[in-house]
Amino acid sequence: MIVMNLQALAQTTDRIVIGIGDHHVGSDPMTSIGLGSCVALVLHDEDRLVGGMAHVMLPASNGRQDRPGKFADTAIVALREELRLLGSRNGSVVAKLVGGASMFKDFSGNLNIGERNLESLRSLAEKHRLTIRAEETGGTVGRSLTYYPAEHGRVSVRRADGKCVDI
Amino acid sequence: MPLTTIQCDALREMGNIGAAHAATTLSQMLATDIQMNVPEISMVDIAQIHRYIGDDVAALVIFQIQGELSHGGYVLLHVPKESSIRLTNTMLGMDDPSREMTEMDRSALLEIGNIMVSAFLDATAGLLNIVMLPSPPALVIDMPHAALETLIAEQEIEMNEIVLFRTELASDQHKIHANILLLPNPPMLSDIITILEGLIQSAPQTA
Repeated sequence: MIVMNLQALAQTTDRIVIGIGDHHVGSDPMTSIGLGSCVALVLHDEDRLVGGMAHVMLPASNGRQDRPGKFADTAIVALREELRLLGSRNGSVVAKLVGGASMFKDFSGNLNIGERNLESLRSLAEKHRLTIRAEETGGTVGRSLTYYPAEHGRVSVRRADGKCVDI
Repeated sequence: MPLTTIQCDALREMGNIGAAHAATTLSQMLATDIQMNVPEISMVDIAQIHRYIGDDVAALVIFQIQGELSHGGYVLLHVPKESSIRLTNTMLGMDDPSREMTEMDRSALLEIGNIMVSAFLDATAGLLNIVMLPSPPALVIDMPHAALETLIAEQEIEMNEIVLFRTELASDQHKIHANILLLPNPPMLSDIITILEGLIQSAPQTA
C-alpha cells in the first residue's frame, strides 16, 4: 500500500516471503524485504537442494516459544530440527547471514540491536557446530534478499545503497 | 490490543486534525495546493508489515514523540526518493529531477520534516490538551521496511502487532507524494485512547 512496487510484487509472487519473525524450510526460493537491524539466517544443506530461512528480530527468546523465527536462539533450533525432518544431516548444513545494520545513531535507547543479533547468531552457530559460509552484514544500510536452495544455496542481496551482491 | 470501532474513529479524527495542519505547512512552504486523504489505521502483525511498507528507497525523517505521554512512539515523514528530489528542487528553486542528493537536500528534508511534524504534534496535543514534542529528527535515505523494523526491534516492549497510522499527502502541480506515519507503542496508544475516550464522554450530547 504505502510504497508497494508492483513490479517487485510480481517478481516475488513465486517466492515464499518470510516476514519479520517468520521462518520456513524447503526447496523453493525464499525472500525477505527491507532487513534493517533484523538478520536473515539461512541454513543451507550442501548435499541436497533444500534449506531454511528465518527473519530474526531479537538476539534472545528468554523462554518464549510462540514465534521461533523471531529470536536467534529459537530460530537456529527450529530450522535445524525442521531440516532434520526433511532428511538433512547436521554435517552438511552451513549458515549464511544477511542484515544486522545499525540504521540510527541519533536515538538513544536500546541501540545496536543489529550488532547484538549478529553476535548472538555467530556464537550460537559455533555452539551448534555450524559453519558460517558467508555474510553480508553490518554497516548502516537496509537489505533485501532472496535465497535459492536449488541453486547451490545462492543468496542474492540488494542493498539500499544500490549495490547487489551474491553470496 | 484490539481497537474498537469508536476508538479507531477517534484516532482517525485525531490523525486527521494533525495531518491537516502538517499539510497546511507543506502547502505554505511550496506555495501550492496539497491534497490529503482520510487517514488509514491498521492493526498489522509484524510478519505482515512487508505488505504495507516496501523496500523502495525513500527519504524518512523520523521523530520520537516526547511530552506528557508514555514515551517510545514515533512519527515519520516518508517521501519516495523521486518525490524527495522534486520537493527539495521546488524549495531550493532548482529543476534537475535526476541529480544526486546532496547535503543541502538532507538539510532541507530535515527542516521540512521538522516543520510538518511539529505542526502535526501541536495540533494533536491541542486536541488532547497535553504537551507533545518531537525529538530531534533523524534522516535516513533507505528502505522504509528496514527503518520500521529497526524502530520496532529497538522498543523496550516486545510486540507482535503494531498499530500503523498513515495519511497520504500529494501535490499534483509538483508531482510530490509524501506519507505521514504514526507508530505509537502500546503504552502511548493506551494513553492516547484514554484521553480520547475522556473527551468523547465529556462532549455535550447532541440529539
